[in-house]
Amino acid sequence: MASSWHWISPRGAVQEEGTEPDPRFTFANERTFLAWSRTALALIVAGLGIVQLLPPFPGVPAGRHLLGVPLIVLGAVLAVVAYIEWVRNQRALRTGQPLPHSVMPWLLAAMITLMAVIAAVVLLMSAIR
Amino acid sequence: MTTPGIPPNDPAKPAATDVDDLDERDPGLALERTSLAWTRTAISFAALGGVVLKVSVFPGLIIVLMAPLVWWVGGLRKLGAHRYWLITVAIVLVAILSLLVALISHGASRALHS
Repeated sequence: MASSWHWISPRGAVQEEGTEPDPRFTFANERTFLAWSRTALALIVAGLGIVQLLPPFPGVPAGRHLLGVPLIVLGAVLAVVAYIEWVRNQRALRTGQPLPHSVMPWLLAAMITLMAVIAAVVLLMSAIR
Repeated sequence: MTTPGIPPNDPAKPAATDVDDLDERDPGLALERTSLAWTRTAISFAALGGVVLKVSVFPGLIIVLMAPLVWWVGGLRKLGAHRYWLITVAIVLVAILSLLVALISHGASRALHS
C-alpha cells in the first residue's frame, strides 16, 4: 500500500495510476482547485483585515485576534485540503471511478458558523463590559 | 446524408464526442478559462500582498512578488501536478507571514502606545 506521502505527492499515485482523462475534466478539476485557493486567500485577507483595521473591542482586549487568527489558520487549512481534494479527484478521473464526496463545503460552512458564534460572543461581551 | 441547414461534419475534424483518441479531443475554451483562473489567483496574491504591505513592508513585498510567479507557474503546463503543490505551499507561507504580521505588528503598536 502506498505511503501517505506517495499518495499526496505530485509525482505519486496521481500520475502513475490509470489513463489520461478527457482534458476538459482535468481543466475543470484545476479550476476548482484554483477557486478554493482564492477562497483561502480571501479568508487570510479577512483575518488580517480584522486584526489590523478594526478598532479594539472595548472590554475584550483580544477580541480582534479571536476573530482574525482563526480565519488566517482556516485559510491555510483550506488550501491544503483543496490540494488533497485535487489529488483525489484527479485519481478518480484517471481510473474512471466516481468523484469522491467533497468535504470542502462542509468545512467552510462549519468554520463560518463557528466564526459567527465567536463574533456574537465577542460583541455581547464588549457590550456588557 | 446531410441535414438541411446544418453543415456536414468535416471528416478531417471529427466531433469531440466521436473521438476515442485523447490527442484529438478538443478541450474547447477550457484552456482559456483555466488561464483566466490562474490570472485571478495571481491577482488574489497581489491583493493580499497589498493589504500586508500597508502594515509591514517586507512581508508585503514578498507576497506581492509572488503574484507574477503564480501567474508564470500557471502557464508552465509541463510542471504538471507540481504546480498545485507549489501554490498550496505558497498559500501556507502567506498564511504564516500574515499570522506573524497580525501578531507582531499588533504587539509592536501596543508597546509603542503604552
